[in-house]
Amino acid sequence: MPAETYSLGAPVELGKIDKELKKLWQEGEGAMTRASLVNLAVYSEESGSLEKNTQLVGKITEDHACRALVIYSDRAAKEDRVEAWVSAHCHVAHTGSKQVCSEQLSFRLEGPCAKLLPSIVFSHVDSDLPLYLWWQGEFHEPMNPQLWAWVDRVIYDSHDWRNFDEQMRFVEAAQREARQRIVLCDLNWTRLDRIRFALAQFFDHPASHHHFNSIESVDVKFAPGFKSTAILLVGWLAAQLKWKTDQPTMNGSCRFLAADNRKIDVELRQQDGPPVGAVAIRSAGIEFKVAPAECGDLLEISRGQAGEPANSQLMPAQSYDLADLMTQELLRGGAHRVYLRALNCVRQLL
Amino acid sequence: MNRAAEAEERNPLREGLSARAAPQPCAVVIFGATGDLTHRKLIPALYNLAADGELPPATVVIGFARREKKDDDFRNELEETTKKFSRQPVRDEVWKTFAQSVFYHQCEFEDEAGYKTLAQQLDKIDKERGTRGNRLFYLAAAPDQFEPILKNLKAAGLSEARSGSWSRVIVEKPFGSDLDSARELNRIVRNSFSEEQTYRIDHFLGKETAQNILVLRFANAIFGPLWNRHYVDHIQITAAETLGVEGRAGYYETAGALRDMVQNHLLQLLCLVAMEPPVDLEANSIRDEKVKVVRSLRRYSRDDIATNVVRGQYGEGAINGKPAPGYRAEKNINPKSMIDTFVALRLFIDDWRWFGVPIYMRVGKRLPKSGTEISVHFKHAPAVLFNKGGEALDQNVLVIRIQPDEGISLRMQAKMPGTHFRIQPVKMDFHYGTSFGKASPEAYERLLLDAMSGDPTLFARRDEVEQAWAFIDTIEDAWAAKENAPELFFYPAGSWGPEAADDLLARDGRAWRRF
Repeated sequence: MPAETYSLGAPVELGKIDKELKKLWQEGEGAMTRASLVNLAVYSEESGSLEKNTQLVGKITEDHACRALVIYSDRAAKEDRVEAWVSAHCHVAHTGSKQVCSEQLSFRLEGPCAKLLPSIVFSHVDSDLPLYLWWQGEFHEPMNPQLWAWVDRVIYDSHDWRNFDEQMRFVEAAQREARQRIVLCDLNWTRLDRIRFALAQFFDHPASHHHFNSIESVDVKFAPGFKSTAILLVGWLAAQLKWKTDQPTMNGSCRFLAADNRKIDVELRQQDGPPVGAVAIRSAGIEFKVAPAECGDLLEISRGQAGEPANSQLMPAQSYDLADLMTQELLRGGAHRVYLRALNCVRQLL
Repeated sequence: MNRAAEAEERNPLREGLSARAAPQPCAVVIFGATGDLTHRKLIPALYNLAADGELPPATVVIGFARREKKDDDFRNELEETTKKFSRQPVRDEVWKTFAQSVFYHQCEFEDEAGYKTLAQQLDKIDKERGTRGNRLFYLAAAPDQFEPILKNLKAAGLSEARSGSWSRVIVEKPFGSDLDSARELNRIVRNSFSEEQTYRIDHFLGKETAQNILVLRFANAIFGPLWNRHYVDHIQITAAETLGVEGRAGYYETAGALRDMVQNHLLQLLCLVAMEPPVDLEANSIRDEKVKVVRSLRRYSRDDIATNVVRGQYGEGAINGKPAPGYRAEKNINPKSMIDTFVALRLFIDDWRWFGVPIYMRVGKRLPKSGTEISVHFKHAPAVLFNKGGEALDQNVLVIRIQPDEGISLRMQAKMPGTHFRIQPVKMDFHYGTSFGKASPEAYERLLLDAMSGDPTLFARRDEVEQAWAFIDTIEDAWAAKENAPELFFYPAGSWGPEAADDLLARDGRAWRRF
């Protein structure tokens, strides 16, 4: 089946957006239900992003009804220009034939008008619903403190960052502006969800907990460009199992120290394949392994004597599609305390 | 929900990954493995859990039944039915690995030796698969088979958990057919498994909206102050089915609607709606409050039953324009059957919160549409302003839709547009399917996972079951009386039950809400 395409919709004057939205619902064909659980503002400075993000929002709204504010900003443009569009993404609800629709308001801000971002967001959020800001690309000065005071969750992808430390300082400054109310959501962390789940399940039975005290080594394979994702995974293990960095990375390997001064060797190897490939934890002669299955969208998990064949099982693998990652992120609630712990554990390696 | 289960789990890698206690790998042994429940519900539920990555990968399923069968034949049959009944399409790769963990154990339920070989098989599986001595026995067989199964499990040492492991039993309804048989069943279960090891399954409690009743009531501050006799006029619970007996004639002829639906599903829903806030979310804290509701139900004398309970049986009629035969004309039904296919009840909970608030319940087969809903009808606004001297305004009604189209709606009054002050009821409506794109798991999926995690919150406790039967028995006894038994009313298939059911509310100046 060809992928559905979504359009920016009808151009509207900035001051008439509410009126046009009302018209959109009055003139819509058939029975449509407008739904919204959150305000999702998607901000990008990449040219062509309006169209690209419209497709992403179209897909995201299949599972997550929202009021989307899709914003493209070109601060470097000389001419002042503001354009806006309204559209709706309608999908048949999984329960039947009802069309469930999410509104999208799109904005192109060029030149000095780019400063209008907070006012655009403030004027068009659906009242009483939380505001999630998906910031694509890198943060930079000036960061408008007014905006952060309104944001409930900021979503970013640290995988795209060139200077991790500098970018985190921006995020942390935003958090301070919002008095620590903003929840930080890193899509690079979301990429690890399924692998973390698969690794965690090995140790659900209390009888396996002794392995935590005898882990000798961890091997992580990652695709070119995804070293930061692999480091975050190691950071998670280290933070949750209370390891501390001992030796920094040397040719892809590093060493951690457990609370009892036991050494844990971590090997990070680049290999073509999914962002995070096979992960193996070795403890007391047992290897706990999670690896991509041949069919691609499943993980093969096994536990056995290192080097010997073991019974393997399948679990769903992570989808790295951006819309799927966002959907997964939007379905999670609460603060990401484990993420922050993992991050702080390996911050110097990122 | 169960904090005890969470506290036991000390896997630091689980933190933040899921808000529930992690299920542990185990061997699930299904007694009655060739039956309908296994094929339609249990295996599809286990497959869906595996496909979603929720089932601990080391989990093994052993089908235990009488018929001769090889593992591969059993797996092939299950694959076919799972493809038919699974909520998500069956993927060959996933099924293949799932099926590798499915085995068949041929044995008569009474054959003691067969349980010893089962024990040996389980030990072998523990070593090979890492199920670590955890066993979950699912009684999907007929209730009259429970005794030999449980006795033999005990004799084979399977009911006792080894150190660091657990052994649990899931008992399918019906939990008896009256108080005596329920007590007897509980005695039989208790001879082999303690109450902590016993999980009585009522799939209604696994439904998302049934669980959401607690969230609606105790996570929203606005309802708490109104949820009592000062503001609530009455409550209605309707469970309607368009279907007839559909091949369950043998069972239905001995059960009827009161035993089949009210004793378990409807009373469980009533408990969730009427219970006091529990002190915490521990399974027993919630169940303690639920059982108080059943204990507080006003017990009726025989005369009271005639005025407060209406029983009915469908006659010939039509459903959705198609002719439908009467109950007595259905296959394998006694042509003089006096069984109830419809019950309407007017109940009272004699506790501090609900004293004097009538609870109207109705359940029936061959009604015009299918659905289960709870509606809380609030008292009228004082007749001093808009409705002064005129017709009373409609009540505010909060509706909790359990199935289908799960959701919640609130009816309130609004001014109609125009220069006049005309008032019209409007509805605020929340639909799960509209607001949340993600489909809910099947009730059996949730409940199987809970049993593997050791969380009994959504399972019925022994005293809940017995108290419910004690209440139901008074009605059944009155109906079974040789003299002056309350009348059995007939209603045409496709109608909303006998007129007497409407009179039950009309006498109080009320009516069933339009469903």
